[in-house]
Amino acid sequence: MQESIKDMATSLDLKLPTKKTESYRYFDIESLLDKSYKTVQKQKQDIKDSKILKIVDGVVVEAPKNIVVSYKKERFVSSKHFDELYRFSHKINDEIIHIDIQNDTDLKILHRFEAKESFLTYRIQIDVKENTTAKIYETFIGCEAKGSFVLYGYDLIAGRYANVEIVKDETIVKDTYTPIHSNFIEAKESSNVKLFSFDYGDADGLVLVDSYIEKDANIDAKHLLYVMGKAKRGTVSRLHHTEKNSKSNQVAKSILQDSSRGIFDATIKIDATAPGSKAHQNSKAVLLNDGAYMASKPQLVINIDDVEASHGSTIGELDETQLFYLRSRGINEDEARKMLILAFANEIIDDMSENEVVNAVHNSFEKVYYGKGQLECIATCHFCEDVIL
Amino acid sequence: MAQEEIDKAIAGDYKLGFEIDIEQDTVPPGLNEDVIRFISKKKDEPDWMTELRLKAYRKWLEMEEPHWANVEYEPIDYQAISYFSAPKQKPKSLDEVDPKILEAYEKLGIPLEEQKQLQGIAVDAVVDSVSVKTTYADELKKLGIIFCSISEAIRDYPELIKKYMFSVVPMNDNFYAALNSTVFTDGTFVYIPKGVRCPMELSTYFRINALNTGQFERTLIVADEGSYVSYNEGCSAPMRDDSQLHAAVVELVALKDAEIKYSTIQNWYPGDKDGKGGIYNFVTKRGLCLGENSKISWTQVETGSVITWKYPSCILKGDGSVGEFYSVAVTTLAQQADTGTKMIHLGKNTSSTIISKGISAMKGQNSYRGLVKIGKDAFGARNFSECDSLLIGSRCGAHTFPYLEDKSSHAKVEHEATTTKISEEQLFYLRQRGIDEENAVSMIVHGFCKDVFAHLPMEYAVEARSLLELTLEGSVG
Amino acid sequence: MNMVEIKDLYANIGDKKILKGLNLELQEGKVHVIMGPNGAGKSTLSKAIVGHYDIEIENGSIVYKGEDITELEPEERALKGIFLSFQNPVEVPGVSNAYFLRTAVNAKRKYEGKEELNAAEFLRKAKETANFLGMKPELLNRSLNEGFSGGEKKRNETLQMLLLEPDFIILDEIDSGLDIDALRAVSEGINKLKDGKRTFLVITHYSRILDYIKPDVVHVLKDGKIVKTAGSELVEVLEKEGYAALGES
Repeated sequence: MQESIKDMATSLDLKLPTKKTESYRYFDIESLLDKSYKTVQKQKQDIKDSKILKIVDGVVVEAPKNIVVSYKKERFVSSKHFDELYRFSHKINDEIIHIDIQNDTDLKILHRFEAKESFLTYRIQIDVKENTTAKIYETFIGCEAKGSFVLYGYDLIAGRYANVEIVKDETIVKDTYTPIHSNFIEAKESSNVKLFSFDYGDADGLVLVDSYIEKDANIDAKHLLYVMGKAKRGTVSRLHHTEKNSKSNQVAKSILQDSSRGIFDATIKIDATAPGSKAHQNSKAVLLNDGAYMASKPQLVINIDDVEASHGSTIGELDETQLFYLRSRGINEDEARKMLILAFANEIIDDMSENEVVNAVHNSFEKVYYGKGQLECIATCHFCEDVIL
Repeated sequence: MAQEEIDKAIAGDYKLGFEIDIEQDTVPPGLNEDVIRFISKKKDEPDWMTELRLKAYRKWLEMEEPHWANVEYEPIDYQAISYFSAPKQKPKSLDEVDPKILEAYEKLGIPLEEQKQLQGIAVDAVVDSVSVKTTYADELKKLGIIFCSISEAIRDYPELIKKYMFSVVPMNDNFYAALNSTVFTDGTFVYIPKGVRCPMELSTYFRINALNTGQFERTLIVADEGSYVSYNEGCSAPMRDDSQLHAAVVELVALKDAEIKYSTIQNWYPGDKDGKGGIYNFVTKRGLCLGENSKISWTQVETGSVITWKYPSCILKGDGSVGEFYSVAVTTLAQQADTGTKMIHLGKNTSSTIISKGISAMKGQNSYRGLVKIGKDAFGARNFSECDSLLIGSRCGAHTFPYLEDKSSHAKVEHEATTTKISEEQLFYLRQRGIDEENAVSMIVHGFCKDVFAHLPMEYAVEARSLLELTLEGSVG
Repeated sequence: MNMVEIKDLYANIGDKKILKGLNLELQEGKVHVIMGPNGAGKSTLSKAIVGHYDIEIENGSIVYKGEDITELEPEERALKGIFLSFQNPVEVPGVSNAYFLRTAVNAKRKYEGKEELNAAEFLRKAKETANFLGMKPELLNRSLNEGFSGGEKKRNETLQMLLLEPDFIILDEIDSGLDIDALRAVSEGINKLKDGKRTFLVITHYSRILDYIKPDVVHVLKDGKIVKTAGSELVEVLEKEGYAALGES
């Protein structure tokens, strides 16, 4: 069964993004939407007990006992999300996977894509109860899903005084799947959300995340991008301060190799209803060779005077003086470059709280770093699963 | 300090809102090929120019008005605008300039006579659509410098016009540029020959006077190899209830080792506190650093207009060329400004600097929009941008939209932006030393703009300062 | 004769009640010192006198030279001759120190019906004074207080004081963060203004500054009230025994 995404959107009376849509300005969305895909019928299964939450082609197959996972029709939808595919993904999925976190939890999620040349779409909703701590790590394996378009996303609701750390670790290899992640985060009063994204590889992919930051709440967002080949990859985000004394801090680091393109299109918006808010944003990109391309668009939209907001953005090469210093101490150029690149990346990786997760992300990074230009996917990918298990 | 007091202090009153009572020669509103032919004929233009205008018109008809800027306004009825208005008596020499126009210029603080004698600044004054007088042209001619209205240049220097007009801003560059290419009525042409350093500041004052007219001036400055010129423009318009359209085009070309410094003090009528009336300032300004080591520097102080849409840009084509953009934009009342720059680095070792200071008060909305693009061959290119916003009050907005695109690994792009308010602590400190509130606000705002004012020619820095003071004037409780 | 009379002053910062019925009389030509533990309300008192925006006066009055100034704007109080040397002077980027000083001096001269100083006259005077205080002349051209060291800021406060020639001078922790040379320079500046007519209110936590500026009257402020008033001998007592030794007298 083949259906074009455009027809599906028309039947739902929804607009799809075009090449003129600002949030897809640097990403070739039209060619992804123009193609026809097979659609996948989701067959719900009995959920096996496991240490991780495993979702295969949008179906939950394994889950830990201590969390409540269910399929639901009723769900949270943000009406103001800037991304058209966010609305589309909600409309097209009759049900979402609901994860209810009632107690302090460490959760690892493995998303596995297997269907070829298919349109794979599903959403999860994560509710973190007030005063609760949740550490969520999600990773993606999709070597078999050649030619598939994955439209996935989560809605994360961090209850009052909740502490949430959510980590996305995704290495994509060319000629496999192409993902669009369309996420929404609501940080309720006095909650603290730490968001990490690690996007590696030599294939296209985009993450779009919108958020609401309520009174006294805080969102820290850290993004590390390391791409090569012809990948177009990046983050489009909006940290939206809606209530007073809300805080955000966003740091993006991008390492671009070959003729890859990095995208950092990030808005901080402070409403007139959010006096006393503080927002800082910083983006640093390193181009490892000519032809690599960084598109950086850090934006401030400020509608009240009583705020503290700043952003900075730099694009350049590896610091020559640092490189020279290392070489003058007898380290060869390759080694010196590697040290600097790893140091640049580690600043973000080491900022996470869980050792196990830090190691997993380090592993992914080094795997990509040493395999540069010749990334290959092992069909069964036991290695990847081992890492998170 | 109470918010309305600050508002009062910031908004002041529009001091240049008088109307000159002179007879106008105006075409009826509307745009079609006949109107274009009429304008062209009225200006004694050669046929090739008429044809170019018609070509631009046909392109314009196919284009759409852009709506991506962060501004909101009532739709413009392009058929309700009169595209040509000239004072009836066209003066031959300064003595013949209608005394009322001269009086008007004096109110603007530009007494032509005095300028001519004392300040050593050459002035071209444009009222509505026509250049009323160019001073100093004869003295400049001795150096080979051409400083005249664009209409004269089309007649007298067709080769230069054919070579450079539309070379930087093509006639179909954007909707407003196409409209301008169709109906442009006057403006200034400057040519500085090889190796000549223009000995005086060149200056044009624009004024929209007639009702329901648009102003569509077109300026072209060409600096030949090794030359230097500093050019300034100022503008004002009477207070009207209806909005008026101003869609100008400015093209600059700097050849090898040449330098053009272009300064603007824009004080079109800003409309009232509800956004009624005021000028729609939709302007395309672009400079081309064509030759090696050439330099183009834009400095602007934008205090007027109800809507501003302008991005003075530099195309850095010549190796080692330099682009600069220094801007102060003030939005008070219900003004909206979407302004910034584009720095397109094509040549090797090109460098650019952007310093933008936005001040928002009352319901003013100020957006900085800038593009820095480093081409893949721009080895060693450097850019530094700093965009600071100062907010005064809880109803205004300050927005920063920088686009940074780098394709060369041997380049460096740096952008910084901050948003601040006038701190109560600073204000209190100054007041404790006996400086009243209004002066204290003005002092802090000046301090905020200092880095930009430093790039204006001295006479104009004084003017910009007093203009800001005027804008800030108004009693504080 | 009293230059300042504060009667039954209750002042709050936000919801916090800080001054709770404070009474204080300051005599013309005298040096008064207010000492007291941290959090007693010393800085609040100085802010209340100059009309700081943080302070809400709930009750009571501040009378200066026979006039109730409790409701006056800060600049009106300044022009009438009240000067506060701030504990932490704020930085004002882009506003040159010299320009600021001249504006302030001329605002005062205008208020007093005197001719305003032109740039040359002013600069001569400012440089002389800066020199007397051992200030680097380039500090006049820098932005107001921006990037100044602690000592430079306090010298700059003293410079403003000497140029504005106020009648009632409040020194809020003028000695905090000063090395011995700066302390000496600042004290010399202050002593230069002692002419038997001006009144000084020295607010301090430590007695160090009092080795340089001899106090006539010492008050102890505790929990929002003046709890003791005596001659300069009280300083020594406090030095030895601390504030705890003081009863509610």
